[in-house]
Amino acid sequence: MELWHSHLLREKVDQSSLLVQGNRACALGALDAGVRFFAGYPITPSSEIMEAMAFELPRVGGTFIQMEDEIASICACIGASLTGQLAMTATSGPGFSLMQEAIGYAIMVEAPLLVVDVMRAGPSTGRPTAPSQGDVMQARWGTHGDHPAIVLAASNVADMYRLTMAAVRFAQRFRTPVTLLADEVVGHMRESFSPELIGRYRLTSGDFDFTPGYVHPELVREVHPPHVLGSETNPHVTGLIHDETGFPTNDPDKSSTFIRELYDKVGNHRDELCLYDVKNEGKGRVCIVAYGSCARSARAAWKMAEWEGLPVEVLHLYTLFPLPVEIIQTVARRVEFMLIPELNLGQYAREVRKMAENWTTVISMGKIDGTLISPREILDRVTELVGKYESV
Amino acid sequence: MMAIDVDRYLHTERLPHIWCPGCGVGTVTGAFLRAALKLGLEREQTVVVSGIGCSSRATGYLDVGTVHSIHGRALAFATGIKMARPDFTVVVLTGDGDGAAIGGNHLIHACRRNIDITCILFNNQVYGMTGGQLSPTMELGDRATTAPYGSIDPPFDLCRLAEASGASFVARGTAIATRQMEKLIVEGIKHPGFAFVEAVVPCPTEYGKRNAPASVIAMLEDEKARTVPVAKAAKLSSEELADKIVTGVLFRDPGMPEFQHSYAAMVAQAQDAASKGPGR
Repeated sequence: MELWHSHLLREKVDQSSLLVQGNRACALGALDAGVRFFAGYPITPSSEIMEAMAFELPRVGGTFIQMEDEIASICACIGASLTGQLAMTATSGPGFSLMQEAIGYAIMVEAPLLVVDVMRAGPSTGRPTAPSQGDVMQARWGTHGDHPAIVLAASNVADMYRLTMAAVRFAQRFRTPVTLLADEVVGHMRESFSPELIGRYRLTSGDFDFTPGYVHPELVREVHPPHVLGSETNPHVTGLIHDETGFPTNDPDKSSTFIRELYDKVGNHRDELCLYDVKNEGKGRVCIVAYGSCARSARAAWKMAEWEGLPVEVLHLYTLFPLPVEIIQTVARRVEFMLIPELNLGQYAREVRKMAENWTTVISMGKIDGTLISPREILDRVTELVGKYESV
Repeated sequence: MMAIDVDRYLHTERLPHIWCPGCGVGTVTGAFLRAALKLGLEREQTVVVSGIGCSSRATGYLDVGTVHSIHGRALAFATGIKMARPDFTVVVLTGDGDGAAIGGNHLIHACRRNIDITCILFNNQVYGMTGGQLSPTMELGDRATTAPYGSIDPPFDLCRLAEASGASFVARGTAIATRQMEKLIVEGIKHPGFAFVEAVVPCPTEYGKRNAPASVIAMLEDEKARTVPVAKAAKLSSEELADKIVTGVLFRDPGMPEFQHSYAAMVAQAQDAASKGPGR
């Protein structure tokens, strides 16, 4: 197997597995997905992604630039994206906040882009090296106005690799920025990483065409014709509401149609976009709905619950937005409780409640002290809930 | 006929433009069009990037690749475009609010990198689009809707800022001297490095309304009277130059390292290292 960026994997354990840091696995995934442009600004706990790209991109003839701040970083990425390059940036909460206006611009002009946010405890400077999932709603609604969002969440090193690839693929297919969220612990942890993964998830030309301006035939009716600078059409790209010509319009019908089309090109493809995994399907009275580091604890809690004979299933979400309505409602119909452990005060639990409260009781289990939620904490809560159920 | 020839760079169907009668933005945009014609810029190889404001609306009329970006960030977008496509001619059209207030940090860093982009900054000393608010180039004592008692904010000298920040070409022109403006833009685009061209333009609607001189003619005549060519300015004292507009090429050094050349050299070095082995 070809490992041209082998220094990213140089912490070799043996031939069959490698010890890799989450942030480096993200850089590896991006390079394998064809990302050849990175503009960024250093910030803990995401900087290793940028450092890896600074080393690797010149070696493969790509472009790396350290900009003067996060706003400049994402704007440079959008500029590169408009020429047809696959561009990405990586940051953390404070930098992600600075990027929000430009993310809205990228949505508006339909510029494919990957934004990785390795979340740290906030608000403000917060605790830069403490894990958090506090940016979930910022990833959904951080920029102003009504807009679609595709947001993925990684829970381990392998996810950092494969979800980075998935994010690039979604960005290209749906011509919109995609956010990949990781908690600090996922970015900084080192785990064994099978080199087979690299082969298994590597994108091929069958996944998408890298030609600037390419739109997959399946999506040609939904995705507006791409703007590619340097093409014969001489596009006009503007963040003003525009029509099919690319030029601004104040026409009420056209304005409404345009924004609805942006929404629909994402919302109509939930089947493809919503990635998840159900454990112990159909056998739980309690379903633990989790993402990121909490999903790992949830999986461990399920194992412990099995030993204790408690009826638990786990819904591990890799896609937070667009909302995985179908699977949430399917599970909600069969369980008494949905328990949502997350490293915030229930940001995603509120979303789940909106979708599920007609059928089940949604319980938020938030934690904001900068430490992880342990499997034992989840199990204790499950025991309490099942006990409540038994006594009813 | 020049007026018809420049149409090749215009979306004539988008005209008339939105600028007020007497505004200098159209005048300087015209100088840019004639400069483009003189240079024979290929439409598909030229990208003009703007931010938000009166001058930034120019991209909506130009038939080249145009990006009407977000407020203050035109140079950051342009940097990404130029890095991704070094073969493009990249020009930024910005204003004093867009380029020197909200975008001031990007301006100094673009100058510092000396990346081969031409930045034409339309300085009308006021926020025109939003209705006459204080700009960072407004003179002390001038009135704005947000400085109703007169400005107490000292103004920037943007050409000195650009030069001190590392731009390798710095020039200033005015809306009244259109031939010179055209020439400065031609030289800026030809220059191999970051070219900063300040265009001093009148805003009779929002600036003239609250400050003297008020009329377009008076504003242009005032601009003309205060203009001092750079060669003559060298012989004058700073007292004599107070309130003057020094025009021409103020600084030029084509020998300064240009960012993309440096980047290409780094890529060659990295690829050479990569060919010798995988790791650090």
